[in-house]
Amino acid sequence: MKTILTVDDSPSIRQMLAYVLSSNGYRVIEASDGEEGLLQAKANQADLILTDQNMPRMDGIAFIKAVRGLPAYKRIPILMLTTESSPAVKEQGRDAGATGWMVKPFDPEKLLEVLKKVFAQTSA
Amino acid sequence: MTSSTALRALQELVGRMATQVESAHREIGETRAILKDAVERLMPAFTAHRSIESATSTLNMQTADAARATRAARASGPAFSALQFQDISDQLLAHAQVRLGLLLVEVDAIAAVLAPDSTEPVSVDELTQIVASANSNLAAVDVSLLNPVGSAHLGTGDMELF
Repeated sequence: MKTILTVDDSPSIRQMLAYVLSSNGYRVIEASDGEEGLLQAKANQADLILTDQNMPRMDGIAFIKAVRGLPAYKRIPILMLTTESSPAVKEQGRDAGATGWMVKPFDPEKLLEVLKKVFAQTSA
Repeated sequence: MTSSTALRALQELVGRMATQVESAHREIGETRAILKDAVERLMPAFTAHRSIESATSTLNMQTADAARATRAARASGPAFSALQFQDISDQLLAHAQVRLGLLLVEVDAIAAVLAPDSTEPVSVDELTQIVASANSNLAAVDVSLLNPVGSAHLGTGDMELF
């Protein structure tokens, strides 16, 4: 079973993601901001990370930079799932090491398709 | 109009502006609280549905029950939309609230300089300084407070793999 770490300061979005992902066979770990996400990433090896951008304490881009510094997460896919769609911020996310960028609101079915695609690319 | 009358009119205007900005800031906070409450009331139904779906899956249901579960799963679509609507709305409102909070600081600073109980009349130099400071602070707000929400509707956002 693949483990996905979701990092979002909105409890409702975290619950929704947990619902969508766990009903489709993924194990889900949750964190409410980048700092907590970093702690969870160190404590639990995730196979993929879904993170928001605008969060208190540590934003998504700072979180990705920190996670990419961990040896176990050099090649783990990290997807940004955010309301932020500014090309400049998207570029910053890409430079930080994000694998992809999804703009909210998201369609759960499309999210699952993207996850399958990313996992297929990772295992290829 | 004499300069003292004009100054008093300006003092009153700035005072009214401060009141309006403060009210808008408070009203946005109240709206956010209502939205949060609405979602907290929605979540138990959502999590209950999640538990039912999980239980029915475990029990390997009969066809009719499975069809009911499928209908229930489809019915969760509006809940997804509602939750994302709340998340996006709250970000926009929080953003507007921060902007108004910073504006209120500037208006209060101007009101303090124009304070009617001041023994000395405000000088042109003081006015020039407060205008320059407010302009500089508001320009900084423009740079630092970019709108975090790109979506203008609830249609699905773009997806891009790098």
